[in-house]
Amino acid sequence: MNKKQEPKEIKMNGKPFEVPPGGSLGVLALGNIGVRAWKKAKEKFEKKEVPGNGK
Amino acid sequence: MGNKKSKVLLIGWDAADWKIIDKLMANGLMPAMKSLVDNGVRGKLATLDPPLSPMLWTSMATGVRPYRHGVIGFVEHDGKGGVRSVSSHYRKVKAFWNMMTMEGYKSNVIAWWPSNPVESINGCMVSNLFQQEKKGRETMDLDNWEIPEGTIYPESLKEQLMELRVHPHEITGNLVMPFVPQAVALDKKKDKRLTVISKFIAHATTVHAACTELMETQEWDLTAVYHDAIDHFSHGFMKFHPPMMPNRDKEEYELFKDVVIGAYVFHDMMLDRLLKMIDDDTTVIIVSDHGFHSDHLRPLHIPKVPSGPAIEHAPYGIFVAKGPGIKKGERIHGASVLDVTPTLLTLFDLPVGRDMDGKPLVNIFDHPKSVRYIDSWENVDKPGGELVSVSEESLEATNEAALQQLVDLGYIDEMKLEDSNEDHQEYLKGIIKENQFYLAKSYISGGKHEEAIEILLEIEDKSNPDFRFLIDIINSAIKTKRYPLAKEYLSYVRKNELMSEAYMDTLDAKIALGLNDGETALQMLKSAIKSKPDAIEILIELGRLFNSLRELTKARDCFLKVIDKDPDNAHAYHGAGVSFLREENYEDALDYFFQAVEKMHHYPMAHFHIGETLALMKEYQAALASFELALTMKPDLPKTYRWLIDLNEILENQKAAEFYKTKLNSKIVDEKVIITGLPGEKLMSVINFLREKGFVIKGDPINEAQWANPLNNDILEGVEEHICYLPENMIQNLLAKYDCRFVVVNDEAENVSEFIHSQARMKKLSFNADLIDGLIKMDKTARIWLGQQPNLDLFYVNNLDESKSELLISFVKN
Repeated sequence: MNKKQEPKEIKMNGKPFEVPPGGSLGVLALGNIGVRAWKKAKEKFEKKEVPGNGK
Repeated sequence: MGNKKSKVLLIGWDAADWKIIDKLMANGLMPAMKSLVDNGVRGKLATLDPPLSPMLWTSMATGVRPYRHGVIGFVEHDGKGGVRSVSSHYRKVKAFWNMMTMEGYKSNVIAWWPSNPVESINGCMVSNLFQQEKKGRETMDLDNWEIPEGTIYPESLKEQLMELRVHPHEITGNLVMPFVPQAVALDKKKDKRLTVISKFIAHATTVHAACTELMETQEWDLTAVYHDAIDHFSHGFMKFHPPMMPNRDKEEYELFKDVVIGAYVFHDMMLDRLLKMIDDDTTVIIVSDHGFHSDHLRPLHIPKVPSGPAIEHAPYGIFVAKGPGIKKGERIHGASVLDVTPTLLTLFDLPVGRDMDGKPLVNIFDHPKSVRYIDSWENVDKPGGELVSVSEESLEATNEAALQQLVDLGYIDEMKLEDSNEDHQEYLKGIIKENQFYLAKSYISGGKHEEAIEILLEIEDKSNPDFRFLIDIINSAIKTKRYPLAKEYLSYVRKNELMSEAYMDTLDAKIALGLNDGETALQMLKSAIKSKPDAIEILIELGRLFNSLRELTKARDCFLKVIDKDPDNAHAYHGAGVSFLREENYEDALDYFFQAVEKMHHYPMAHFHIGETLALMKEYQAALASFELALTMKPDLPKTYRWLIDLNEILENQKAAEFYKTKLNSKIVDEKVIITGLPGEKLMSVINFLREKGFVIKGDPINEAQWANPLNNDILEGVEEHICYLPENMIQNLLAKYDCRFVVVNDEAENVSEFIHSQARMKKLSFNADLIDGLIKMDKTARIWLGQQPNLDLFYVNNLDESKSELLISFVKN
């Protein structure tokens, strides 16, 4: 268990929840899974934003 | 062990306070906390003095007071002529994570303050500096954010936990908005307060992420996590919490009034997640080390002294416990930060150290719980974890960052880099001296005044006087009856005008009381209250003195004034209760005594007075329980034993009565019952009543006894009678070797005047009117003296009705 963990999908009312790149307190309050999911959402968003990423 | 059924999740929220939580729960804003409270027990957790977090959290983790665990203040000597932020290095005793390790239990310990460097325990440990983004005085960038050495055990978890850290720079407007809804209107770069809020959110999130990660991925029996954010948010923003304080700017108030609420709500959200991660077999405990003033008790100004912000701390933190075998929806009383480790050990059926200052909170359990004891965990020869070694360079960088954080919080003064070596030395000396002061405070808090005086006299410097040291020297000197020392320092304080006149008068009054000079005490307190009519400490002292003088309405006025200003002041409720009790208004007396013990459960005299009131109301069984409780809190009070003997005899529990008699006899050398009061018909009727019942009494107001040595110090020398009448002017001269109980007969001046008149006529003597004035004055002095002797067993008689007669006989008999 000492390697990097993959982010888990966050669900709200049983449905997948798309974490906003700006984050939300509710997501941070989820602890490890929230932080990982938020960091992933940020990374995805930043990749989109940077020109030359082919997006 | 790891696979044991019962687990414990211990959550620490620094400075969490019921006043705010209760309001938020009532408004549905803390549902997770409410579910715990509804399904578990709640109570207040009494803090220790000084209420400084590293000392308190170490007391919580060890069950002993700071002068024993060694973690004092916010900084400590680094052994090389410098200082560093408090660390695990100075802890002299085992913490619960060591005890768990010794017994084979697995623990996760996250961010406990102080816990850096971490220890090689059975389980995982993340130190309180893990979330730190500073290296030395510089803030590390997100891309270049190193993790300091010594913050994670085992080291193999480093990569896994590193990625869960949230940097303050990552905190977006979205995340700040719940705390400051108008954040967009503020320029983050210009208004440092938004930066501060971002930092608190980032740190809390990092700690929570590490905690949830370890709970999810590691095997554990105990997870203990500490959050400092509520304390930090409160120090920064409680001044803007509603209602608006009189000295605040309206615009700023509007901007920041939601910050503290936001902090509590965020913690509840994190709590909700933790509760979802555990099963019903896990016991959850939430504690805080002290409360935080959120109402009219908020100070208008923070004193400009080290640790000045601690003035905002309230004396009670929170305690919540929910789990298998724990009562539901009930309140518990009498818990202290010292009780956390003994309770934790009891939950795991591990023994409690007899040398611990705290006790297991057995009243949380729905069934009687047996508690195991050992002499001391310090004698257990098993590995409990060692401090991990850290390179000097890393230690220095981490330390500097931690010190800077303490400066930012206002707990220590800043030392500027450009300061000369001389300034640097002065700064270090100042910090060490401050720590000595906290150590002395800790001794005072533990009732060890002699030890405190020794330290205070050493650090006190008349060329640079510090009024805090001087106050404690004077108060401790009064407590230990070192009146010349108290006087010496008070006259120095007066000469240099280091305190307000009112406070100095109050100290003078305390010294006068100690020296049995009630008149001076009264004069001083009256003068003090004139200049500070709302000062709580003065009102309490004055109220107590009025109670002693039987000026009961005046006494009550003082106490009610305090209650109006500070509705949680247990001493004021107790004092008001005493005034009602002396008026024989038992219903009201009980009401006030119950409120006193609700505010402060560990209040032996209040429990004693509940017992006394109930006994006078003939509620003997209930009275018995109160006296028993008072006895557990203060076992050296002979008068409690006497009540227990009397009541058990009335209830025909001969075995119990004998038990307490044996206990009492082992404490007493020579025992006497003294009857005193103004010489009048009432006093004579009490003496005659007892004589009719067969008691032999030496002397009475008509036939004054011939004392063997009236000029001798020992007026009772050679007196064989168990019961003696003593005029009020003689009672103060009784030597401490006698264990005296007093029957004090209350009478009015006019009755006494009539009695003396008739006696004079009978004896064909001339009546001297001045005599009455003298007697009234003497009565006043005697009552002040009686009121100031907490250990004296007093039985007041107003009227000798049937129930009073029965109790009087019991009282004089033992």
